[in-house]
Amino acid sequence: MLKIKDIKKKFIRYNSKKQKEEFYADNGITFNAKEGEIIGILGPNGAGKTTLLRMIAGILEPTEGTISFDGMTYEKDEIKIKKEIAYLSGNTKIYQSLTTYELLKMCCDIYEVDKNIVEERINKIVETLNMKDFLHNKIEKLSTGQTQRVNIARCLVHDPKYYILDEATSGLDIISSQIILDFIKREKKLGKTILYSTHYMEEAENICDYVIMINKGVVIKEGTSEQIKKDTKTTNLRDAFFALIGGTRNEE
Amino acid sequence: MKNNIFNILKKEIREMFRDKKSLSMMLIIPVMIPVLVIGMSTLFEMQMDKSSNIEDYNKIGFAYELSETETEIAKNLGIIAISNDLESLQESYKMGNINLYITKDNNTYIINGNDNESTALASTLAESYFSKYKEYLQAEYLKENKINSDEVINIITLKENIETSENFFASYITNYAFLFIIMAITISATYPATDTTAGEKERGTLETLLTFPIKSKDIIIGKFLSVSISSAITGAISLIFTVIALLISNDMFEIYEGVNLMLSPLSFVYAIIVIIAYSFLISGLCIAIASKSKTFKEAQSALTPLTFISFFPGFIAFMIEIKTSALLSIIPFLNFTLLFTDITNHTVNYVNIILMFISTIIIISIVLYTIIKQYKSEKILFTN
Repeated sequence: MLKIKDIKKKFIRYNSKKQKEEFYADNGITFNAKEGEIIGILGPNGAGKTTLLRMIAGILEPTEGTISFDGMTYEKDEIKIKKEIAYLSGNTKIYQSLTTYELLKMCCDIYEVDKNIVEERINKIVETLNMKDFLHNKIEKLSTGQTQRVNIARCLVHDPKYYILDEATSGLDIISSQIILDFIKREKKLGKTILYSTHYMEEAENICDYVIMINKGVVIKEGTSEQIKKDTKTTNLRDAFFALIGGTRNEE
Repeated sequence: MKNNIFNILKKEIREMFRDKKSLSMMLIIPVMIPVLVIGMSTLFEMQMDKSSNIEDYNKIGFAYELSETETEIAKNLGIIAISNDLESLQESYKMGNINLYITKDNNTYIINGNDNESTALASTLAESYFSKYKEYLQAEYLKENKINSDEVINIITLKENIETSENFFASYITNYAFLFIIMAITISATYPATDTTAGEKERGTLETLLTFPIKSKDIIIGKFLSVSISSAITGAISLIFTVIALLISNDMFEIYEGVNLMLSPLSFVYAIIVIIAYSFLISGLCIAIASKSKTFKEAQSALTPLTFISFFPGFIAFMIEIKTSALLSIIPFLNFTLLFTDITNHTVNYVNIILMFISTIIIISIVLYTIIKQYKSEKILFTN
């Protein structure tokens, strides 16, 4: 189980007078994620979603609070945790000069996948994501959709327990987005825990078991989609969000 | 986790050898070395030809009539003596018809001309002429006073027995050729070091790399080894090209007559040791500087001073003829150039090589420790 307890992240920025000022991108976020659960992290741009997921993925260090994966923390078990997670963002870049196969092979080596099953695993992933046609092409020659499929494949090679997906469908066309959504549903069935951040409320409503709404670094509401809609007396998560922040849809 | 160092190294080498820019940076200077060595040898040879060809500077004007004896002395020295009035000589000098002109005021002779190469050579010739002429006058004076001139003028006998230990041109060319190797390694290290740190940050792949279960120590050592290997390859290619260029020059140019520019197998081994040590040092420094930059461009600007620092001590050492010592063997950059000079002069001291090695290892360890610390911090990704 993933346990996030009261995590905060402080940054320093310069104001208009070029003076340093501290601000919290995330300010006391707490939640748990169980096996086979898709947790949606929802909020507008700048709400603190990316910072939160980067802390969970071990890229950023929380200023305060604790993150634990099955009782393991980054302070003590960084490498063990990283072997159990896969991080994918809409912005994730991969090595352009490598071929798809070389990248997947490299990931297998890094994640210490058993040498006897490496080829079998790569072949299975290639088949599942329909990547046979460009397996030996350099990544720089691939389309955006194909590159994102390679990115998903990279996340799958070590069969992680936790997926951290940050705006993974952002900027993708409808077909490429669907590939990612299908992948999320498939992994959920396999009992994987998925953290999924997006600002597409409808998308989250469709696939998430539990939703955490964030605005300005704090949780403004959490629960199942149905609960949130019921509590806010709205018919969809988009309206629910505006109801919670006390604004109108036009303000988005 | 040693495996991960190898995984990173493999990835970096693969990327490096597939990148045309990295490859061209690895080869551009080595390819230029033979051109520079042969070009410099040609220039030296031309210079030598100029000073050895007396016809280029033997036209000397005399603003007075020469006696028979004076004409004879001039003729014996190969001087074409042109006697004329001062104005005509000045005009001839301006036109370049004579190389200098001599005026006379009683017993004082004045050599006139500008500070240029042919006048300087002609002036040396004129000095020889006056030395002979003075000798003749002294002998005549002694004869008039019934003194045996031989006993006075040749009162002592001077013979030269100076062994020329090294050919000036050979040592100049070999020293500079080896300095070019240092330059080649430096330039070869800067591009991949920039690409693997600031470049990776700029392309966004560093974030991906940091999510992998790899210790920052393994990432840095992998990257450091890849840059070191690439620059050491450049160094080795440069050394081979240098040796070939020196051999060709040795056969082609008369200035190297009687000199063997070929390195002995042992000198070759020493040169390889120095190349490897320097490649490791410069790669570590380049990675340390470049990893502090946010973009590729910023890293390249930051590395420019290091490029100059790397070969500047070598130039100074050659100019003021500094010799290797135990103390200088631990001074980075200067030690490599001085050791290369020792290698080409066959005067290598093992202690100096060991001291250079120890000093390099200490510097590399400090540099790597600093970079590893930096990669453990999120600041490596988010410098703002």
